[in-house]
Parts: sequence; C-alpha cells; structure tokens
Amino acid sequence: MPRCNKSEGHAIDYASKLLSTAEAEAFERHLKRCSDCNKAVESFTTLLNLTDMAEKEVLLPEVALQDIEMNVYKRLAATQEVSVLSRLWSYLTNFAFLFQWQRIAAAGTAVIVLITTAVLVSELRQPKVELQLSDSQSADARIEQYLQQDIQRNLDDAMITRHLRNDAWETDSRLQRVKEQVEGTNWVKFANALTDTNITQAAAKGY
Amino acid sequence: MSVAESMDKLIDDEMLVSQFQAGRQNAFDELMKRYKSKIFSYLLRSVRNYEDAEDITIEVFFKAYRALENWQPKAKFSTWLYKIAANLAIDYHRAKARHPVYALEDMEIPEANLVATDQYSNPVKEVEEQELGRIIREAVDQLSPKQKSVFILNRYEGLQLKEVAETLGMAEGTVKIHLHRAMKRLQTLLQPLWENNEI
Ligand SMILES: [Zn+2]
Repeated sequence: MPRCNKSEGHAIDYASKLLSTAEAEAFERHLKRCSDCNKAVESFTTLLNLTDMAEKEVLLPEVALQDIEMNVYKRLAATQEVSVLSRLWSYLTNFAFLFQWQRIAAAGTAVIVLITTAVLVSELRQPKVELQLSDSQSADARIEQYLQQDIQRNLDDAMITRHLRNDAWETDSRLQRVKEQVEGTNWVKFANALTDTNITQAAAKGY
Repeated sequence: MSVAESMDKLIDDEMLVSQFQAGRQNAFDELMKRYKSKIFSYLLRSVRNYEDAEDITIEVFFKAYRALENWQPKAKFSTWLYKIAANLAIDYHRAKARHPVYALEDMEIPEANLVATDQYSNPVKEVEEQELGRIIREAVDQLSPKQKSVFILNRYEGLQLKEVAETLGMAEGTVKIHLHRAMKRLQTLLQPLWENNEI
C-alpha cells in the first residue's frame, strides 16, 4: 500500500512495539517526512487497539480455574500412578489446613478421598471422558457420553461444595441429584458408595 | 502480599522444577498456580470454547507432570509449557477440521456468555460493543492456525518473538512473517469498520 520504499513490515513492527529503541527512533525520524508510513502506522495501531479491546472482553471462568489442580491430579490418578493418589490426598487435606476447617471437615475430606481413591483404582474407575467425539459414535452413545459428563460434573460439584465451601446441605442435594441421574448406569455403585457413608450428615453434626 | 507470597515470587520456575525433580511435590502445585490462568486464557482464545479449553488445560499439566521428571532446562519452563499447549491446540483444530459435522452446536459458548456485560447502563451501546467485539474475534479466528498462534502468543500472552519461535518450533524470521501476514489479513478484514465510521 505505501508507495514509500520502506516495507509495511516496519509500520507493523513499530505499531506492535517490536523495534529496538534505536530502530524505533530511526523510524520515527522517517515518519516525520513520510505520509504513507504515517497512514500505515495509524491503521495498524487502530487495528491493535480494536483486537486488544475485543480479546480483553474474554472472561476466564473462576470456577473452572479453581478446579484445575484437582482435575489434573484426578487425571493422573486415573492412569493409576499410585504416587499421585497420595498426592491427591495431600492436596485435598492441605486445603483443609488452608481454610482452617474443623477437624470433622478434614475427617470428611479424608473419607471422601479414601472412597475416591478406592474407586479410582478399582474396576469402578470413572469412565474416561473423551475430548472429541469419534465419527462412528451413534446418537445413543453420544447421549450416554453427555450424561456421563453431566454426572461427572455433578460429582465434581459435590466434591467442591464439600471441600472448598464446606456446605453439607448443598453436597447432599448434589449427591442426591447424581443418584437420580445414574439409575440404570454403571455409576450406581459409585454414587451409592458416596451417599451411603453419610459423611455429610456426620460432618454436619460437627458444627 | 504476605512475606511468604513475596518469597514465593523470588523462586523462579526453573528452581521449582528442580525442587519437583528432587521430590518436592508442592513445587508442582506452585507451578500450576502460576500458569493455569495463562494457559487457560491462551487455550480459550485458541479454541473459543470453555469446556474444551478447560479439558486441554488439564491435559497440558497432566503431560507436563509426566514429562517434568526428565525435563532439561534448555528453554524457559513457561515456553515449554506453552509449547505443550500449542501442540494440543493444533491437535484439537486438526481433529475439529476432520470431523466438522460433529462439532455440536451445544458445545459452543454463546457469545454473550464469553464477555463481560455489567459495566454499561446503555443497553443499545452494550449490544453494539458486544457485536463489535464478536466481529473482531471472528476476524482473529479467520487467521490461519499458524498466524493466529503467533498473534495470540505475542499479543496476549506477552511472549517475545524468540519465545514464540521456540514455542511453535519455528525460526524467528518465520514467526515475523506469520505475524506480518496476520496483521495484513486483519487489516483487510477489519479496515471497513473504521473507514465506514462504524466505530
Ligand atoms: Zn515511509
């Protein structure tokens, strides 16, 4: 576009602040007498302001960010790296100290971790949630997959309300929802194991 | 900032890696704490879908955990981490291109949920600005995968061109070429917006 013999790359690098101080100063001297390059710099600067504004609007979901560590350890635990199971344990119990919960909360944490650990290493291991749906998957299989993802999410939410928010009532109601969802699936044993221990009620009496 | 927190900041990533390699597991928690937002936001900009961005972020740290034992500090830890993320994002886009029919609509985030909405009192202006933001993000999404990666890593993740080159396994000169092409393409796509006084 510019008829000036400097390439448009100079204008892009200048607008993007990629030039060294010396290069930028030399280019600024050129800008004083070149309207082509001035126009180019103005155009690319406007462009960058626009894209910056649009991308700054993109929000990070705080809840998802809270769970990253726990989910990484769960993912590692699912590959049966036993050292990692103990890591998940210590990660969750560390949280208990961090928030200075009552002992009962830590005990509740320990029980849930024990169950989770047992479940993860046993044949009850949670079905692995695939990132991509394969093209051979039937509609039924896909619905099943979404159901499993949903169950997984509710279980995760239950863990979160239990461990991070220490909210026994909410935990119970979420576990109840999971129980309703899993009827007739291979998750029944898992959900029963979680709800039948009455961890949450026991914990609730503690405070 | 507490004393402990300021002390933490003094420990550089590579030091945390050697602590982790020496068996101090907490060092990996600290590394995740430092980088989860950055990696998540990079992936969210790349894949434009919360659930997939979250899954891939978990995958990045999962892979990092398993590879870190044998990691040699040839590059910065952060560059290495972005490299894992960039490769997974490429795999994601490839898989998506191969099975476009199965890119289910309900997995996409409604645009309205992707952006902040609360700081305006004028709903017309709010809608106009959201619309503008959407158009601009769509233009960024129209860049080729390499152009988009270079643009996002340099512009939003604040990586130097040299670091972008290491992350994407390209020569620095190639990175610059992709960046220039990205800017030219965006200019072509978006210039009508300000030339027609739409903004
Ligand atoms: Zn010029």
